[in-house]
Amino acid sequence: MSTSRWVPAAFLMPAVVLLLLLAIFPFVFTIMLAFGRVSLVGGLSIDFGTLRNWSVLLADERFWNAARVTVTFVVVAVAIQYVLGMCLALLVNRRVPGITAFRVLFILPMTLTPVAVGYMWRMLFNESIGPLNDLLSRVGLSGLPWLSQGRYALASLIAVDVWHWTPFIMILLLAGLQAVPQEVVEAATVDGATAWQRFRFVVFPLLVPTSLAAIVLRSLEAAKIVDEVYILTGGGPGTSTESLTLYAYNVGLQGFNLAYGATIAISLFLGVLILTMVFLLSAWSLTASRTW
Amino acid sequence: MALAAVVLVASLAPSAAYAQDRPFEGVTLTVITQSPPYIARPVQMLAPEWEERTGGTIDLVTVPFGDLYTQIMSDFALGAGRYDVVIFASAWMGDFAGNRYILDITDWVLVDEDLAFDEIVPTYQDTVRWGDRIYGIPLDGDVHTLYYRRDALENPEYQERFEETFGYPLGVPQTWEEYRDVAEFFHGWDWDEDGRTEYGAIEAMQRGGQAFWFFLSRAAPIVCPEGVEGCLWFDPEDMTPRIDNPGFVRALEQWIEILDVGVPGMINFDSGDVRSQFAAGQASLGFDWGDTGIIGSTSDESTIRGQLGTAILPGSLEVYDPETGEWQTLDEPNFAPFLAFGGWVGGISVTSQHAEAAYDFLAELGSPEFSYIAVTTDATGFNPYRPRHFEDFSRWLEMGFEESDLELYLEAIEASLSHPNAQLDLKLPGQPRYMDAAEVELARALAGEVSAERALENIAAQWNQITDDIGREQQLAFYREFLGLD
Repeated sequence: MSTSRWVPAAFLMPAVVLLLLLAIFPFVFTIMLAFGRVSLVGGLSIDFGTLRNWSVLLADERFWNAARVTVTFVVVAVAIQYVLGMCLALLVNRRVPGITAFRVLFILPMTLTPVAVGYMWRMLFNESIGPLNDLLSRVGLSGLPWLSQGRYALASLIAVDVWHWTPFIMILLLAGLQAVPQEVVEAATVDGATAWQRFRFVVFPLLVPTSLAAIVLRSLEAAKIVDEVYILTGGGPGTSTESLTLYAYNVGLQGFNLAYGATIAISLFLGVLILTMVFLLSAWSLTASRTW
Repeated sequence: MALAAVVLVASLAPSAAYAQDRPFEGVTLTVITQSPPYIARPVQMLAPEWEERTGGTIDLVTVPFGDLYTQIMSDFALGAGRYDVVIFASAWMGDFAGNRYILDITDWVLVDEDLAFDEIVPTYQDTVRWGDRIYGIPLDGDVHTLYYRRDALENPEYQERFEETFGYPLGVPQTWEEYRDVAEFFHGWDWDEDGRTEYGAIEAMQRGGQAFWFFLSRAAPIVCPEGVEGCLWFDPEDMTPRIDNPGFVRALEQWIEILDVGVPGMINFDSGDVRSQFAAGQASLGFDWGDTGIIGSTSDESTIRGQLGTAILPGSLEVYDPETGEWQTLDEPNFAPFLAFGGWVGGISVTSQHAEAAYDFLAELGSPEFSYIAVTTDATGFNPYRPRHFEDFSRWLEMGFEESDLELYLEAIEASLSHPNAQLDLKLPGQPRYMDAAEVELARALAGEVSAERALENIAAQWNQITDDIGREQQLAFYREFLGLD
């Protein structure tokens, strides 16, 4: 490498090293904690090099329950968001007067913070004085236990997440739709393809890369859900809505069992990593081997 | 005031600074506590006056309650020394004093006439003791009391109907069985004729929403005969948890039953919900710390002003003795008011470079004069714990308290705090871990995921695990110190 190429690299090096340290150190430390034990009695002491946290984790009924809740939440919420997001994207992709206003309107939920969304829905779901049950009683139906029975509570959380994040999928798919070459669609129209056939055989295959990106990004975020669960149900009733992130938070920062909290966090990371890779590989192989 | 007291402390040599008009000129005290308004507000109220008097500066750091323990403990454990004054839950005294992270201020406190430590209700003097030494200054008098709607329980028509149904007169419940009957009677109909349905009881049951303390308030009179040490926690001989004994099982079964006559959605309520919804007139009775009384009787949004009754928590006619393993049947209910949470206390970090200034600030915060202002100001989170707080009605009435509500409110708190069988909250290293483990299983039992018996067995198993993790011998020594046995 010539001197002229070394100089910029040398100038960049401190920033790169700092960035790597900031990014990597917490991650490496968390991994080490997952193989360690932290004691605060008589001052902080950390012992590394034990598999005890992992053996406890494998036999931890609450961990597996949290994993089941997280997977159910991610799969159901993201699937609904994708379908609704696609419908909305197709709807607002039309060139009609006032469509920009509709696009802004549909995006509004996404602009709210999860904490604000949590509190807003907590009020709406209130079973004795909330508007949803009031509405049901006005049409002669009995109120629903939105957050106080396990299945309803998980369904309510999924509904809130769908309301909050469908716009995100819609935006990505809208961008994808607008990048679809119009000549191809027009050619299909000239060939006599119906609207459904144009979508099924022309538009949708072209949206697959965007769809994969949208699903993966949203799944990664959904797997980390904590704020809305914390505010709406606190993980309850019982442990019926406790996500892995909330469990890690409760164990690590409420119970101050940092090592076990780190173990849960790392297990979530590994789970998400593996499932994402499996999903992407399957999707790519399917895309490569199939004519849509 | 506190200044003069500190001068007398020989072991912590007072500096010439005390003779000056502004003795702490240039000193900055970093104080950490919970996010405003509750608990931080009294610090914000006092700081300008203290800064003017002493020349010092208060740098207030606040974090949400859920992160407060972690924040303080991390600072202590890592030796960062960021904070001079820590205002914390007395239940954490085991971690902080047990590990000597905060200063032993016994010699300062006992000679400080202006602080009048001896005047504080004795059970609250105990909240800052670790062994026989004093590590903090009490700032708050937390205890659970019963709240009820006087317009419901004192209505002659309802009294007649209640007696016909249950076979005894309607009144302030003396036992948890009577509490259940009253809740059942008033559940699901518009008994205050405001056009809306009201419900029986309201309690906090959400994990992380103070549920464990609510459960222990229910369990205390059932598992705590007078004179049994550590009835709520562990056997002081070997740290065997007592949480799975038959008394606790009965308390948990009763708690699960109350869901049927509670405000809908109560399983997810925290104490904030109890306060707002009781003040909104949703329930005939419930229990909580003093805040429900203040909000119910002084808030403009409250619909129950002038109708609020307060009483000592119900007791039990059958008591399980954990030492003999037998039930006792009594003629009069056994009461055991639980000092849930144990109140907020202030301590001084051992790493503080300004311990004298820190003591001066804390002593003023807990002084008879300022504490009276703090407990009679809305949204401070501080509840009464000194005689004047109970005897001088003037500022309570200025605060907006309905006179008819006030007398019962203060009487109930004073009676609870001074009760001979009042039970202290646990002060032991790892207290948050014990509490979290318990809350999870209690939540599962309430949700019907496990039986009451199984949930309590699980708690006992996890408590044993936590004790072993931290070190059983060490925990036993700390526990006996907490009980004053060694």
